[in-house]
Amino acid sequence: MRKTVLDDMHAALGCRMLEFHGWRLPLSYSGVLSEHERCRTAAALFDTGHMGLFRIIGKGAAAWFGGIGTQNAAQLRLGRCRYGFLLNDAGGVLDDTVLVRLDEEEFILIVNAGTAATDFAWINARLEGTVRLENLSEAGWSKIDLQGPLAFEILAPLVDSDLRALAYFSAFRTRLRGGDCIVTRTGYTGELGYEILAPGAAVRDLFQQLLADSRVAPAGLGARDSLRLEMGYPLHGHELSTAHNPIEAGLGVFATDSHSYIGAAALARARAGGTRRKLVALMLDSRRKPAPGDALRAGGEKAGEVTSGAFLPSLACGGGLAYVAPSFAAAGTELHIVSERGEWIAHITEKPLYRHGTCRKKLDL
Amino acid sequence: MTPDGLFFTKQHEWIRVEGKMATEGITDHAQAALGDITFVELPARGKQLTQGGEAAQIESCKAAASIYAAVSGAVAEVNRALEDDPAAINSDPYRAGWLFKIDIENPEELGALLTAKQYDQFIEEA
Repeated sequence: MRKTVLDDMHAALGCRMLEFHGWRLPLSYSGVLSEHERCRTAAALFDTGHMGLFRIIGKGAAAWFGGIGTQNAAQLRLGRCRYGFLLNDAGGVLDDTVLVRLDEEEFILIVNAGTAATDFAWINARLEGTVRLENLSEAGWSKIDLQGPLAFEILAPLVDSDLRALAYFSAFRTRLRGGDCIVTRTGYTGELGYEILAPGAAVRDLFQQLLADSRVAPAGLGARDSLRLEMGYPLHGHELSTAHNPIEAGLGVFATDSHSYIGAAALARARAGGTRRKLVALMLDSRRKPAPGDALRAGGEKAGEVTSGAFLPSLACGGGLAYVAPSFAAAGTELHIVSERGEWIAHITEKPLYRHGTCRKKLDL
Repeated sequence: MTPDGLFFTKQHEWIRVEGKMATEGITDHAQAALGDITFVELPARGKQLTQGGEAAQIESCKAAASIYAAVSGAVAEVNRALEDDPAAINSDPYRAGWLFKIDIENPEELGALLTAKQYDQFIEEA
């Protein structure tokens, strides 16, 4: 099993670990509920070293990437990040990614752990001209995410640049304790937060330094899942796969027809012809936790299927994401979740389910 | 430390016997393995339980688990406070985190249960 550069530190913290796409990763330290709460109220620190970090560099990189991914790289402003997809020709999702434009012809692409190897090979096979693809993860880089309303004031003194200048979905290259790093103001929790990409040794230093701050608690994949579900964010392998396209996932805004990427033609057809299902968020009227595969029914009719479920700590109820037939996708629709463990009532609810996230907070005075 | 004076099952339930009444909960070992408990479905009062039969359901952030009756008998009382806030099962599994009480039907069934020492040995071997 693969380990991140922080593996021994998790062990020292008494963390409960789990296997995730071939990686040994933190599940929880003090408990999922307290880690979730810490992220919503102060700051939580996540080891995201399993995620793939690629660098795309060279003359023509911006124009070339536009023919590959759904992000319109040539239109992306310097220092901005954009969520998007790698698609197959049928418009199915190979992966969901964040593209960071560091320079005119230099980009970072952040991809999922389970798809990093196939993404790399897929992109590599499509390189043209002088554009180069580098695997920063294989070169020893790693990543941690500091997320929570206090993330700015905690991180600002530790980096050499003015963190306040970093708007939501922006990034810069800076110095961290004498070494190069990249900081992006992005995350997967709905809270104000940063992802810090750096060589492994610098990530270890920063992880330790951040944990020495009593406002910060380490958090694992358990809290990461309940936090993202409260925001209605999809998880690759659950809501997104080659069997799904971004239109039915409600993410068409991240795969527009502004340029000609792989899968664009199929998406244009899906957009014009409609899709047979839609991704929706659900809230239960109880504390029950739905599970992937639980059926959704309306009257006697099958309406869809749950793809992710959790107890949502900030809302004190169960909830999750599901694909349903379009006729059942309107907010307020009441559906029955039919599980092995019982049958429960849920309502389709507008995303995000949790409405007090601080991720877009303006920091400029 | 597993408290003395209680009876235990291999499914990680405990009961405290007072006269003809058994108070049932899950062990500290069980709550630690489940992690933060987020939901509990308790049996209806008066429901007839059978030793080893399903009596309640518990969900945690990590898992869902069935809770089995340690002895047979009718449900005399349930810990309603857990329905809105099941955290007591984690923080105080042998006291505030009790789940339900059973009117013991057949005291001989207690012979099939484990002592604290036997239970500790059981989880050590498992």
